[in-house]
Amino acid sequence: MLLGVLAPTKGEITYFGKNFFLHREEVLEDINFSSTYTNLPWNITVKENLTFISYLYSIKNRKKRVAEIIETFKLEELQNKPMSDLSAGQLTRVNIAKSFLNYPKILLLDEPTASLDIDIADYIRKFLLKQKDKWNTSIIITSHNMAEVEEISDRVIIINAGKVVANDTPENLAKSIQMSHIKLLIKEGLKKAIEYCIKKNISHIISNRYITVDIAEKNIGDFLKDLAEHEISYEEISIDKPTLEDYFFQVIEKK
Amino acid sequence: MKIHRIYAVILRYLYYFKHSYDRISDAFYWPAMDLLLWGLTGYYFASINHNAVNAVSGVITAMVFWIFIWRAQYEITINLLTELWDKNLINFFGAPLKFSEWVVSVMIVGILKGFLSFFFAAGLAFLFYKINVFVVGWHAPVFILLLFLSGWSIGFFVSSIIFRFGSKIQTLGWSFIWLFAPFTAIYYPVDILPKWAQFISKFVPASYVFEQIRSIVFRNTVDNTQLIICLLLNVLYLTLSLMLLNTSFKKMKERGLAKLY
Repeated sequence: MLLGVLAPTKGEITYFGKNFFLHREEVLEDINFSSTYTNLPWNITVKENLTFISYLYSIKNRKKRVAEIIETFKLEELQNKPMSDLSAGQLTRVNIAKSFLNYPKILLLDEPTASLDIDIADYIRKFLLKQKDKWNTSIIITSHNMAEVEEISDRVIIINAGKVVANDTPENLAKSIQMSHIKLLIKEGLKKAIEYCIKKNISHIISNRYITVDIAEKNIGDFLKDLAEHEISYEEISIDKPTLEDYFFQVIEKK
Repeated sequence: MKIHRIYAVILRYLYYFKHSYDRISDAFYWPAMDLLLWGLTGYYFASINHNAVNAVSGVITAMVFWIFIWRAQYEITINLLTELWDKNLINFFGAPLKFSEWVVSVMIVGILKGFLSFFFAAGLAFLFYKINVFVVGWHAPVFILLLFLSGWSIGFFVSSIIFRFGSKIQTLGWSFIWLFAPFTAIYYPVDILPKWAQFISKFVPASYVFEQIRSIVFRNTVDNTQLIICLLLNVLYLTLSLMLLNTSFKKMKERGLAKLY
């Protein structure tokens, strides 16, 4: 709908203060997109795809821009291969590369790093952040990867069953959760620790000699004191602050 | 309309043409085979009945001109199907490309490939049978224009059905035009059709063109009134098919282009 390939039943979409449906071509000159779930033409080469798509936009010196994109996205070795010969990760990389052709002011990315190798995914994330600052590009990402969203987003909107259920910075959303995760490697008294958690109604997970509990940050001191009083000793302790993923689960569970 | 966007679509189909053996065989192999089989069959009949020699010339000339209507239609429907198979409609219409620009682009691709196949087949006709299809003289551009208009009307009509039902009815993309072929009277005069078929032929614009091609080949005369009727029918059908296409495209957008495959 944000690209105009699905007609809305009601409401309006505004980009740069302009009604999208009244200024479609003008607005789309400054927008681009990439989705893991759409293809580029299958049996023509990467370079041919980038070339014909460059002509869909009003770009100066298209040949130079295509060469820049090929270099930036490390596509030199792939440029003369047909899309059908590429791996899933390479296809995603080409799709993202294509989305930068027209120096977009707004970039719509749907699961941008799904199916990418870890190093390429990391490279793409860093690249996106660099482009965002360099070109003042606003990037709208739809993703199920909360760690990625947390890393690269300034603002997060969570939509559940078609309704906006959260709209804030990732930090603020995560902070709104009181619970921290504490992971302990129990040296002695694992049974007592489990009984204690059950008695105090503390959510916990056991894995070998490890116990992970969810506990409010302000109660951590009392919790550790209680463990000592119950003669439960531990060798390792790690405390993880709440993440966006925790917030997401909390919101979904509430719903 | 922006020329660079029209060029983008044309470029995409030319790249595809370059890489697709199917498309290359469409452009050269089938016209060559048609010409060979029809020509040899015609000469066999001519060897039995010497009066049929002229008929062979009429059949081959009409067959070569049929390429225009066939290519015009084919390039529209098959290119649309290609976008469905490649899931490329979103790349087109998620960019500033207008639907009218896509329409113009596929018309231009049809013209380019129509002439490519036409000149190839015309060359072969001369080479194999010493038949000069340009015997129609200055009427050739008129015939070609009228045949393109017919091909576009059918192409847009079929495309509007594809927009409605997707690739599950893809066979129409290459077969629908042959429904019109018997009434178009490409290889024989309209007179030999049964009365009911002759009546249908009156509403098939291309039948007027092929009648006039035969008239030039056999009698060296052309009835301009028939060509004007053909033009009017073509304009009417093209207008209706474009309106239908536009409506189908808008309806498709209500369901979402991503759902069309």
